[in-house]
Amino acid sequence: MEEEQDKLLPIANVGRIMKQILTPNAKISKEAKQTMQECATEFISFVTGEASDKCQKENRKTVNGDDICWALSSLGFDDYAEAIVRYLHKYREVERERSANQHKASGPEQENIEDSSHVSCQPQQQIEARKGIEFRILDKGNGSSFTNPS
Amino acid sequence: MRQAGTYSGLLSGGLSGRTGPHSLPLARIKKIMKKSGDDVKMISGEAPILFSKACELFIEELTQRSWMMTIQGKRRTLHKEDVASAVMATDILDFLVNLVSNSSHSMDNPVEVETIATSKS
Repeated sequence: MEEEQDKLLPIANVGRIMKQILTPNAKISKEAKQTMQECATEFISFVTGEASDKCQKENRKTVNGDDICWALSSLGFDDYAEAIVRYLHKYREVERERSANQHKASGPEQENIEDSSHVSCQPQQQIEARKGIEFRILDKGNGSSFTNPS
Repeated sequence: MRQAGTYSGLLSGGLSGRTGPHSLPLARIKKIMKKSGDDVKMISGEAPILFSKACELFIEELTQRSWMMTIQGKRRTLHKEDVASAVMATDILDFLVNLVSNSSHSMDNPVEVETIATSKS
């Protein structure tokens, strides 16, 4: 059973995201969290599959950020795609700046961005330092991001 | 095959729940991605990062939709069935239909269990 859990997103993280979006008095059953855990995991597989198919057709070996954005849009998650595209560009911008700064200052980590579809070795310290990229994509007061054709 | 060093730095760094600014662990996401198909060979470093954000949006959205079902049922506890109802009501969540109806932990819904289980109110 523990091996099964390894293949799902961690329930603690999933539960936290769920809790944060609901009102404080809302309660969530354990089974609901488990279901959400499975759904979110399946979401990753589903979108990755679509992105991977595209890469195969185009004879590319690496699934990159643009493929994920494309797959999201292709599968109907247009609003996510929009938000993620912005996130991706911001991320790449930060990476470029970081790479540029590396040449000036003597940083402990070396980073080479070989081409736009590959992002190289990024030590954990860099990830943690990149808090600036965190920005609210969803306006919580807004309605759904799902495109739901009637 | 995998290039040494391309991902290890990004994903190995002590992801024992601590993920920095990301709400979901990148290594786990990458594992799930790799498992999604045989043809998934290489994954760029940015892909799991994007998924961390996309999954967060997904969970938030599905939770809100599920909660609407909870409210309709005049309840304050979000149950598995509310998630299932939300999935059924949303076209682009069709890929989850089997998942929510075949769920193995059916404590909330003893009817689905083949063996006789103690009924839960």
